[in-house]
Amino acid sequence: MSRIIVVTSGKGGVGKTTTTSNLGAALAKHNRSVALVDADFGLRNLDLLLGLEERVVYTAIDVLAGECRLAQALVKDKRIKGLVLLPAAQNRNKESVQPEQMKKIATALAKGYDYILIDCPAGIELGFRNAISAAEEALIVTTPEVAAVRDADRVIGLLEAEGVNKISLIVNRVKPLMVEENKMMSVEDVLELLGVPLIGVVPDDEKVIVATNRGEPLVLGEYESVPAQAYSNIARRLEGEKVPFLDLMANQGNIFSRLRRMFGG
Amino acid sequence: MKRERTTQKVDIRRYTDDPDVMTFEPTISLDKVDELPNSSPLVNRYSQIGLKNNGEQVLLILPTQAEINSDLPWSETWQELKHLLKTKEQSWQEGTKVCLVAKDRLLDARQLQTIAETLDDVKLSLATVSTNRRQTAVAAATSGYSVQQNSAQPLVEEQADEEITPSTLAEPLYLQSTVRSGVEIRHPGTIVILGDLNPGGKAIAAGDILVWGRLRGIAHAGAQGNLQCRITALKMEFTQLRIADAVARPPKLRPKRLSPELAFVTPDGIRLTDTSEFAKNYVFSKSNKAWIGKNQAK
Ligand SMILES: Nc1ncnc2c1ncn2[C@@H]1O[C@H](COP(=O)(O)OP(=O)(O)O)[C@@H](O)[C@H]1O
Ligand SMILES: [Mg+2]
Repeated sequence: MSRIIVVTSGKGGVGKTTTTSNLGAALAKHNRSVALVDADFGLRNLDLLLGLEERVVYTAIDVLAGECRLAQALVKDKRIKGLVLLPAAQNRNKESVQPEQMKKIATALAKGYDYILIDCPAGIELGFRNAISAAEEALIVTTPEVAAVRDADRVIGLLEAEGVNKISLIVNRVKPLMVEENKMMSVEDVLELLGVPLIGVVPDDEKVIVATNRGEPLVLGEYESVPAQAYSNIARRLEGEKVPFLDLMANQGNIFSRLRRMFGG
Repeated sequence: MKRERTTQKVDIRRYTDDPDVMTFEPTISLDKVDELPNSSPLVNRYSQIGLKNNGEQVLLILPTQAEINSDLPWSETWQELKHLLKTKEQSWQEGTKVCLVAKDRLLDARQLQTIAETLDDVKLSLATVSTNRRQTAVAAATSGYSVQQNSAQPLVEEQADEEITPSTLAEPLYLQSTVRSGVEIRHPGTIVILGDLNPGGKAIAAGDILVWGRLRGIAHAGAQGNLQCRITALKMEFTQLRIADAVARPPKLRPKRLSPELAFVTPDGIRLTDTSEFAKNYVFSKSNKAWIGKNQAK
């Protein structure tokens, strides 16, 4: 059974595309076949983050217009077996795509791939409705900031209204030092408000930005890094493994505040 | 341009050693806004879709064109309907017939179909469409629904002028889910939320508001002017509370309260007290148009 999962957030710039590319690569490393769908027609950049920009020939719009077959439009990632990208068109009028059409594409992909990960645009308008139309599950990405959490909450409500009830949360760009100093919401604060299960915590790390600029998902990099580990862990949890959460706060504070955190005090 | 507001600050005071005044310990001080947020558009803005079960059939009542400020997109109405059906306690039997009271709303065949499908999901079946628009009647008839066409006489507006007493309120709306950011629940009666009212979420009730969870968003009770209405929550962490035309914002610093609290209107504005202490200490004074301490009332 393949899984169609939308990666969404409401707010822009919180790490949806970064998450989609890294999770895709991490799942492929686990020998899963993965199709990434760029549903951000306005600001497509999943191809950029994957370093596949030069190889894009056709896009989802061409498929819908009947100008090419679905398989032709899929760009294979040569670095890793089983990972493909369905790019979004940038030039076409994004209003020209409808939820029903996106659903058709995702359902067709589901016949050949274990995971369909859909990179959702920011906002809650048509682009969002397109991206979630086929989704059976959702990964909500948020940063520990009030505005991002507020938007995540809104999006969760909309997903629930659409009948997407399998929703998990990724808290991205956590800065342990700031949390320790009470200058940033903690993961617990975010969870307590949103009330959906946590599937991953990713630290704020400049390696993420470096990898983004290089067009290479961190999880495919040579060196192990904490954020790469965090993304791999999310992939494993998606696969049903029980993986303990990284203790990003490990180096912060004294033994008492760490214990307090462990016991949720 | 900023609107000038005159606010009257009330201090946190302990009344315990003065027998003449209220014998409770106010847990909070709040501003009373003198210049009232105009409450009449609020009443008109009741875009709430009504759902009434009269035993034999369910009445699905759409707000009139005027009530929704005309340009609310159809998708919003539909979303609201879906939300309502999902969260409303299902008090009907499978296959119960529905009469859609569309009033002056223009509905085309496609919209009727989406309504029918949405109802279908919760085992209700659209049977009758009641409307005073010819086009809607035609669309309904062509889609095979029976049609009741009424003259364009809005019953609802006549009632709006009457004084709202609790008995004319709609039956309570019972929501078994968290009200999330961006969602606004309006109900011409009491609202009960079995979940949280999150920041960015709003509950507006003509009656009381009871939150069996955390109240962190905006709650407006007595929205049609009833100062007797109350707001209670297991955890009061609100962004704003309103009762009729009184407004309260949280102070910067508030000690964490463990017990459920209740907000009500006193002659000095909105106050909070332990929910369990309320009934034994307060009575509503018609002359003061506010709740006052029982010993004060004598
Ligand atoms: N964990 C992180 N640490 C540091 N930078 C990050 C992290 N996650 C994302 N970023 C950066 O934030 C920016 C926005 O990320 P992106 O994935 O494009 O967001 P979205 O798709 O939600 O708009 C990018 O420059 C990315 O490199
Ligand atoms: Mg993006």
